[in-house]
Amino acid sequence: MPIIEVENLRKDFMIAKRETGMMGALRSLVKREYTKKEAVKDISFSIEKGEIIGYIGPNGAGKSTTIKMLTGILVPSDGKVLVNGIVPYENRQKNAKNIGVVFGQRTQLWWDLPTIESFELLKEIYQVSNERYKKNMDTFTEVLGLNEFLNTPVRQLSLGQRMRADIAASLLHDPPILFLDEPTIGLDVVAKEKMRTFIKEINQDRQITVILTTHDMEDIEKLCERMVLIDHGTKMYDGEIALVKERFGKTRTLIVDLEESKQRPPLTGGEIFKEEGSRFWIKFNRDEVSASDLIAQITKTHNIKDLTVEEPEIESIISKIYQEGFQDLPDTVKV
Amino acid sequence: MHQYRMYWAFTRKAFLRSAVYRFDVWSRLGSNLIFLLMWGSIWTALYAGREEAGGVSFEAMLTYIVVSQFLSGINGAGTPLWEIQEKVRTGDIAIELMRPFNVPLRYLFADFGSVAFYIITALLPLYIVLFIFMDLTVPASWLTWVYFIAAAFNGFLIRYCIEMAFGLLSFFLVETGGIEDIFYFAMSLLSGSVIPLWFFPDWLEKIAVYLPFQGIYYIPNAIFIGEIFGGEILFSIGIQLFWVIACFFLLRFVWNRASHKVIVQGG
Repeated sequence: MPIIEVENLRKDFMIAKRETGMMGALRSLVKREYTKKEAVKDISFSIEKGEIIGYIGPNGAGKSTTIKMLTGILVPSDGKVLVNGIVPYENRQKNAKNIGVVFGQRTQLWWDLPTIESFELLKEIYQVSNERYKKNMDTFTEVLGLNEFLNTPVRQLSLGQRMRADIAASLLHDPPILFLDEPTIGLDVVAKEKMRTFIKEINQDRQITVILTTHDMEDIEKLCERMVLIDHGTKMYDGEIALVKERFGKTRTLIVDLEESKQRPPLTGGEIFKEEGSRFWIKFNRDEVSASDLIAQITKTHNIKDLTVEEPEIESIISKIYQEGFQDLPDTVKV
Repeated sequence: MHQYRMYWAFTRKAFLRSAVYRFDVWSRLGSNLIFLLMWGSIWTALYAGREEAGGVSFEAMLTYIVVSQFLSGINGAGTPLWEIQEKVRTGDIAIELMRPFNVPLRYLFADFGSVAFYIITALLPLYIVLFIFMDLTVPASWLTWVYFIAAAFNGFLIRYCIEMAFGLLSFFLVETGGIEDIFYFAMSLLSGSVIPLWFFPDWLEKIAVYLPFQGIYYIPNAIFIGEIFGGEILFSIGIQLFWVIACFFLLRFVWNRASHKVIVQGG
């Protein structure tokens, strides 16, 4: 049985129409007109215990609306939601004990208190037994290095420390399900990597089901095998990530800084689509030519000072899917 | 039982949190003292050397003002109106819907902690000194003290429910200035915090008596100085209890509507 089931989920918001001008303002005092906005139109998916899924889409696609419905702080307009056998909005407090939530943009710790005090408070809130608390704290302290800042007030923590504290806090009560909303936003490369390793570990060791929303393609690639892609409130893709990348993520951009740019380097397989002084942007298809092959071609005639290879961002993959359609993709929902 | 352990944890943490803001405690105490001096001088001038006005001695009136400032110290040490409005505006309070607790109750218990800290470290020391060095009326019977403490506690609960409910109205309004004005007007005048109800014109007194605000300052105060005595004491406390329950239901109603709005309309 899946741990999360969403069927034909819909959420409409009624937005008060703002009328313009003096007369409009007066009119709206008496009679308000509303426009309906469909934030989530018709989404269905199911998640098995122990999966990590990437729940992605551009801003305003309906991601957080869905997450809010799964956490029970938003009632669906229509459709079915079941989280660990519970209808979240009908039984919010019971559902709260089954889920852990981390918002990258907003801490759930108490701002003024030393970090450890927040943990102690959460222990009481979620009624975690003493042994369980000690065991979890020992693990998190070791893996996340919490001891270096346990006695520091939360407001004085660096972003990386705060995120580590936040994720530990969300797991204190051993929730079977973890919602991560941009858990690596703003972190440096090392901190990002640590966070990813930790998420992977708790997923494997504790069989925690993880729903991850992010704009960072690397998060998705390193953590998830499956992704659910939504846009404009509808599901556009649900299946293996490898497949999407195979189909849409083949284009790479090679950026080279040449020592002297007397002329454009001659290339086969790549296409220069932008140049600025001695810097060239070269688009190529990974299947047709490799980056090292292109670089070798260039070094025959020029000296390369610096270079980077850019992968397509999730946004551009999405817009590509949008343009080219996705019907021909096999819908490989995993069992 | 477990539930109460959790809410007490909020009390403990709020107590600790207050200790972080020592400057806040001192500045609040400072302004409390300034208001005390101000109202003390105003009433001294109004009595103009008379021993008695409206059947109340000058000593009792001065005591009324001192006790009133003491109560205002207690009532001002909890989560203030603007902070509730701020939490609504930033969405912090909506996020707390995700936790397995009752949100208004969690704030009440946290307030117990910050208020206890303020009473122990600031209010009690100051007011004990004031009572030692000033000529003030002190209840003779220990029973009156018990009634006063009970009435002050009821007053605190009434004030909490009203302030929280008013703060939560921010969920429904874009502009909250008007709400604040009404709240502070009722708090300062209708509660009898600076002018006792017996000095009100008849029509205003009638209004004030039928509102919950008098339960916050006037009733505990009048019990303290003996203006309310004998059988009237229990009657007044009964009225307070009625308002505690009524305001509790008001708060619950507003909270249910507010959380309903959040979970249906997304805040």
